[in-house]
Amino acid sequence: MNDSAQAGMNPELDLVLERVVDVPPDLIWKAWTRPEHVKEWFVPRPWTITECEIDLRPGGVFRMVMRPPDGEATGGDPGCYLEVVEGQRFSWTNALLPGFRPASPAPSDIVFTAEITIESHGNGGTRYIARAMHRDPEGRKRHQEMGFHEGWGSCFDQLEELVKSW
Amino acid sequence: MFAEAILSVMLPSTDTLDRLFQALADPTRRAVLQRLGRGPASVTELASPFDMALPSFVRHLKVLEGSGLVRSEKEGRVRTYWVVPEGVAAAEDWLQSQRRMWQGRLDRLDRYVIELNERKGRE
Repeated sequence: MNDSAQAGMNPELDLVLERVVDVPPDLIWKAWTRPEHVKEWFVPRPWTITECEIDLRPGGVFRMVMRPPDGEATGGDPGCYLEVVEGQRFSWTNALLPGFRPASPAPSDIVFTAEITIESHGNGGTRYIARAMHRDPEGRKRHQEMGFHEGWGSCFDQLEELVKSW
Repeated sequence: MFAEAILSVMLPSTDTLDRLFQALADPTRRAVLQRLGRGPASVTELASPFDMALPSFVRHLKVLEGSGLVRSEKEGRVRTYWVVPEGVAAAEDWLQSQRRMWQGRLDRLDRYVIELNERKGRE
């Protein structure tokens, strides 16, 4: 990851996940940037991706439609690629529409910018980093209030305790 | 869009939350979840710490599965249970649920590219 990106990191709002995989970097790049590959892993089964649109250039569209096994398709709102360095790094956001036009996300939407950095690692392997930056804590709180009804607190506390014990 | 579309699988429906709450309201079921957090386990393994008739215990497992927190599969005579990270994420802290979503996504990506790579090697 580049230094400027690292410097802008906020542990309360951002996530950084790093992976090392024993496949060549170009395969990771393709898996992230070609619709036929993205469809295979982006959503958990039994969800499927029925449409995936990728125009891999700054300002280009990244959009997909997802379908649950028994229900209506969701998603479909277009995101916008911000930076594309072939084979090495790309980023996109749902805060902008394609062509960098500001989006008007619903209050419940989680607005984010994601950056994927890919580099070769060891003998033929790949190290990649996924970084997701989110909006201010106020937006986050609003989201929580919308998603979680009053009275559910104890339920979530119990679960949180469980998960922490793992 | 991408992130919250997945999240919406987990969050808003009151039905889902009802089932989740019910599942977590019982100490036996919480203990089972705790055990499954360490990895998949068979019904026999899960039941062994409890002094309970098997049919009653199996009912607990069904409630858990109905809540989306765990899933099971039967192979031969053995039914194995495991935790569904996306189901668990439904009830977690906001950022933690995002983390789990990304982790699940990257897990699937890693499995996919490894498989792709092996296929390529065989061709």
